[in-house]
Amino acid sequence: MTQSFAVELRGQEEWSWLVAIDLFLGGLGGGLFLLFKIFSLPPFVGLVALALVILGALVLFAELGQPARAWRAIARPLTSWISRGVIAVSLFIAAGALSVAPSLSIFSFLPWNQATTAGTLLGAVAAIAAFFVALYPGFVLSASPSIPFWNSPLLPVLFLFSSLLGAAGIALLLSPLGIPGGALEPIIALAALLIAANLGLVAVHLTTLSRSAEAARESVRRLNRGTLGWTFKLGVVLVGMLLPLSIIAWLPSSAILAGALILIGGLLFRYCILKAGVYVAFPLG
Amino acid sequence: MANNKDAAKSNGNGKAPRWGMAIDLKRCVGCQSCTLACKAENGTPPGIFWMRVLSKEEGTYPQARTVFLPIRCNHCDDPPCVPVCPTGASYKREQDNLVLIHQSKCIGCRACIVACPYQVRFVAEDSKGYYGKKLTPYEEEHYQRWQPRTVQKCTFCAHRIDQGLEPACVQTCPTRALVCGDLNDPESEISRLLRQRVNFPPRAELGTQPSLFYLT
Repeated sequence: MTQSFAVELRGQEEWSWLVAIDLFLGGLGGGLFLLFKIFSLPPFVGLVALALVILGALVLFAELGQPARAWRAIARPLTSWISRGVIAVSLFIAAGALSVAPSLSIFSFLPWNQATTAGTLLGAVAAIAAFFVALYPGFVLSASPSIPFWNSPLLPVLFLFSSLLGAAGIALLLSPLGIPGGALEPIIALAALLIAANLGLVAVHLTTLSRSAEAARESVRRLNRGTLGWTFKLGVVLVGMLLPLSIIAWLPSSAILAGALILIGGLLFRYCILKAGVYVAFPLG
Repeated sequence: MANNKDAAKSNGNGKAPRWGMAIDLKRCVGCQSCTLACKAENGTPPGIFWMRVLSKEEGTYPQARTVFLPIRCNHCDDPPCVPVCPTGASYKREQDNLVLIHQSKCIGCRACIVACPYQVRFVAEDSKGYYGKKLTPYEEEHYQRWQPRTVQKCTFCAHRIDQGLEPACVQTCPTRALVCGDLNDPESEISRLLRQRVNFPPRAELGTQPSLFYLT
């Protein structure tokens, strides 16, 4: 099997839509739970956060080649970010469910609630786990020395900020279901700040890597050309950031629309980052 | 060739052997014998080549020529595929530093494939053979060494190494372009070659410390 080598740089094809959806839902759920705790949002928001993370975990099961062995994924927390992430997700689901459960009438018999020490402790553990759930996907990608576009300390920051932005987006989307106006206003302001921060971080990441090694430059090129380029520029930057920012600035009454657009952009952001992963070239390039 | 125990005794420093390979790019003629020997020895499924030879044209007529680059798992001393594995399925065998995969532990998350800079890890999506779903007796025998939807790769023919034999690709190479041996033994043929010849490990700048060296 003679193949041409060093003719073109090869993009990774192992992780695509399913992983993008998993990373998106996990980050969204983790971020939303943080907002739920920070802004003391109604209990249904905590439940939605839990449901999102559980859904993300189910998508991850579907992505695995051998899902029946998924329990083994907690075996290497000292070295593997996937292991750490699986532990954080499991901990979040357990502590989050126990923390939110007393707010449901069918679980009102439980001896703890938000006011008790046990309830506060469970909420704190769930919030810390939620932070890790939102944080770890960036580290999973940045641990790959084979893909310079991912192998950057900025990527975990980017993913964390994108997750928080997505969380703000879904909070806006959920606002008609009972988020009080007093809590909504700071979330709208936070969404605007996070859009600005995400725009800045993406710009810094792309600018840095466009002056970096060959494979990283190729990744930046792919994000600027062809179908992926359009997906990134229109889907992530315009639909996911600039339009929602404009809506928040000039049409704050349509914040729900801004939330929906932020979510579309957040999913496409993960897809674009995954698809732009280009391996280092073979050695005699 | 010495097996692991003999190598540990003979390399003089008491260290476990570190099996490595030197590939002489001046000797490789791109005949693909190594590719076929690997297929025959390991019975890999259609479309998957643990060892393969890439080619590239250099220069312009009348000074044009084709150069060949055999590639395979480099059994790195600091393999990026091992720490990212969440289950411990990818591991370095203590007795001889070979990087191997516990097929029964792999969950098929593909993190190791993405982490490997050499693109030498593969997943067989099913157990189809070269002639369809019904496997030949040969395939039935060899397909027991890996599982579908888990990651597989070159094992440095660990089963042959354990018997004191060379990997199939090394034994087959008609031009002796492939030389394997204990990198921890300063008197081994591979160590001597690396001292005498100009060589480079692929993508050494990534810090993976490959146990494969190209002689130029």
